[in-house]
Amino acid sequence: MKLSLKKRAIARKTLAFVAGLLVGGSALCTNALAGETLFSNFVFAVGPAGENGALWAFSRDGSYSGVTLLNFNVASKNNVVTEATAQAPVETDTLTAARYEIFEDNFAERRRIPAIYAGTKLGLVLPMYAMDKDERYRQPAGFYTVLDLKNVIENPIDIPAVANDLDTLKDDPMMYATSGFAYDSTAKRLWVARGALGLMVHDVSSNKGAKDTTFVLKVEKDGSAKLERLKNNTELDLKKNPEVFDVQLHPESGDLWLATAQGIWKRTPNGNVSRALELSVLDTMRVTGLWMGGSPLQIIAETSYKKDDNFIGGLWRKYGEKPKDFSRVNFLDTAGKKQKKDIYDEADYTVSDVAFIGKIAYVLVRAVGGSISGYLKLDSLGAKAWEKDDDGKDQWLYGYETGATDRKATIMSMCTFPLSKNRTGLAIATYGNGISVSADSGATWSVVLNRAKLSNDLGSIRMVPSVIVQPGEESLVSYKLGKDSKVTIEVFSYDMRKVRTIVKDAERNADASRSTNPKEDYWDGRDDHGKDCTMGVYYIRVKDNHGHVGWGKAMTLGGNFR
Amino acid sequence: MMNLKKLVVAALAGCSFVSSAFAGPFTKKSELGGFDGFVERMSGSVRELGRGNTGSADTASMPGAFWNPAILGFRENLGVTLNIERRDLDRLGGAFGIEGKVGKRMGVGFAVLYRGDRDFKVIDDDDETVGTAKPFFSMFYLGFAYRATRQDAFGLSLSMSYDNLDIADSKYFEGIDMEDSFRSPVTINLSWLRQWNAKWSSSVVIRNLSFSKNLSAKWTKNPSKDNSLASTEGVRPKVLQIGLGYRSKIMGKPVYAWMEALDYQVADTLLAFDPQLHVWTGRVGFECEIVPNATLRVGMDDLNWMLGAGYKFEIHVGRKKFPLEVNYAFLYETSAGLWSPFTLGLRGYIP
Repeated sequence: MKLSLKKRAIARKTLAFVAGLLVGGSALCTNALAGETLFSNFVFAVGPAGENGALWAFSRDGSYSGVTLLNFNVASKNNVVTEATAQAPVETDTLTAARYEIFEDNFAERRRIPAIYAGTKLGLVLPMYAMDKDERYRQPAGFYTVLDLKNVIENPIDIPAVANDLDTLKDDPMMYATSGFAYDSTAKRLWVARGALGLMVHDVSSNKGAKDTTFVLKVEKDGSAKLERLKNNTELDLKKNPEVFDVQLHPESGDLWLATAQGIWKRTPNGNVSRALELSVLDTMRVTGLWMGGSPLQIIAETSYKKDDNFIGGLWRKYGEKPKDFSRVNFLDTAGKKQKKDIYDEADYTVSDVAFIGKIAYVLVRAVGGSISGYLKLDSLGAKAWEKDDDGKDQWLYGYETGATDRKATIMSMCTFPLSKNRTGLAIATYGNGISVSADSGATWSVVLNRAKLSNDLGSIRMVPSVIVQPGEESLVSYKLGKDSKVTIEVFSYDMRKVRTIVKDAERNADASRSTNPKEDYWDGRDDHGKDCTMGVYYIRVKDNHGHVGWGKAMTLGGNFR
Repeated sequence: MMNLKKLVVAALAGCSFVSSAFAGPFTKKSELGGFDGFVERMSGSVRELGRGNTGSADTASMPGAFWNPAILGFRENLGVTLNIERRDLDRLGGAFGIEGKVGKRMGVGFAVLYRGDRDFKVIDDDDETVGTAKPFFSMFYLGFAYRATRQDAFGLSLSMSYDNLDIADSKYFEGIDMEDSFRSPVTINLSWLRQWNAKWSSSVVIRNLSFSKNLSAKWTKNPSKDNSLASTEGVRPKVLQIGLGYRSKIMGKPVYAWMEALDYQVADTLLAFDPQLHVWTGRVGFECEIVPNATLRVGMDDLNWMLGAGYKFEIHVGRKKFPLEVNYAFLYETSAGLWSPFTLGLRGYIP
């Protein structure tokens, strides 16, 4: 195996630098030309970049993290075209925004990567984690601000001594993980939810530089509360000082809403702290997430708590001005009938992100302990199932099945961003399949991801990835056709015995980039009978009906003999 | 005796034809290509490859430890064979064998078979080529034979595979303590070869028996040292290989016909009677010594076509003569539509 990681890192940084230069000169490579459109197809977060058509994507590829700035244009029929992309790695390899165990963790507030656009002074804001002594990214270390490709700034924040005094925090630094941001563009303040360490304000209003101050919420016996400055000698008591999991700036009142382990609190601009709503159903709940937006204003709240060995989740909403309190989000079947069961909790969902367009809230969820992910579309009535599956079960999640992604990849993040002056774009980040962008509120999507150049007429076949670590994982057969064709794809063993026919005489279109249909043209390491093929090298033949033949190679590490 | 011979020959020939005829119609529960064992399915020497990959019923086949360890009982001299194959799609193969007589009635031999891919591109999920691997797969055989009568020999060989995927250092597996090398436990092959007379010979080889449950050659492979990847299983199917050889003359020129029937039991059971758990294949080959010492060959292994040629000569070193044979084979892998014109084998004896 000939590979130098150092050289690769240098090459990547050089590439990013060249791309950066191209950005400066506004002579950018287009999607069709670019091999490396994104820093990596493993995208953990997307966020607006402040300008029309501009979007940030944060990716992590093995040991390397980086951001990609994408610029889109909308062609006819809502087709989103990638105009330009450029990348930059984060400066320090030992820091990242994608924390360790983001998939495995059961705590709802730790299963998302908050990403917001915080004006021209800060740009995109993302959490930042450092390696712990076991070289795992689980030590909260501050936050990134991404102004442009040359200014991916690491903002370390102090860990007060109290974090080392309290055994629970010492054992589990993720208890003070950064799980929410809110930016007050008037006061030029970035609010950061720090879990057990309360709430931090990153004040950039002064020309002398930023100033960080951390507060803890102190709840008194009489039910009142205040924000107290966290000092090194503060005695932290999580019963009196509930964790702050998320923070949002109310778009109408300007109040700062805090999602805490003891309900939702608000801080008025003059500094008073009180319950956000009087006698709310969420007052005693562990509120782990809070999102606001849309017209009329919707406030989405996520609750999650541990009972025995189980986590009980809840999705709540306050829709418009009329209701005085939150109510559980209704799930309706395809006929519009309200479900009695709590579908959200039953499916073990947690919220990764919420995006708003008009009356619709797009609630991105991910199931605990599985790879299921997708978004719920909440209208004024709730989440309505878009179809019943073959077993008659209602389907509420939008995602791969509705065309949001063209491969079964976990959706990690979602946001809206201004596509043009009058159009709001919707973007999702996926783990392994790049990003998808929609110009028509999710009706159609365009997938943007890294693609190596291919020769025409099956001149080169690439299996992506070429190693199947476990049967069931998909290796995409990438090929390009010069004209519309009927394609047959077959897998052969080393001794050229056919083990699998992937597609036979399937119609595929000519394409300048590639003709692959990702929903069908992949090999999962199994033979025609669904049996796992043994460890080894396999050869994939692609034939069209014009006499062209191309070969690719894939390796599987094998499976179980059944 | 003559009747018995005819009966056995007819039965073996019938098995060969029936296996070929029935290979297609059954819908199998597994594809043979998805199992371990392709190294031994792909031949061990160019001479035999050129005539349809047939060699188990020929006392002259080398390496005997691979083809049929009973062959070793017929060795009179120390024999050595070296073969190299370059097939399409960067596949490189080779075989080496050395064997000889031990005492009056016994023979011993060693063989190693190699198959590899010289250019496997490791492509990551970002569609980026992050390295080139050269995975290889090999089989080792240590064979023993006992010649029970002038016509019969019985053989046993111990075999073991050693594979290396060559991807552990890839950036693709960064953060995983990968294991590249995999060794199978020792498996046992049993065989019998009978030279009925100057014309007819027959063989029976049973391959891939193991000491494990069901006598199956099945083992666990752990692709990571830190158990971060799920372990997988390898199974080399049990094989029943029946061979038949016939020697004659046509227009005064020696002509040979070879036939083999193979049954692969694609199941982890002692014996499976479900036909869907068996894959049958057949091999057939013919050769003719068109001029003295020069032989032309043609054959078919399953649906793959082969053409071959060989030339025998001697090298004189002092008073000693060393018989040598150069062999070539041309191969067409039918189902894949691939031609392989680059195969060459050398074999010789040290008297």
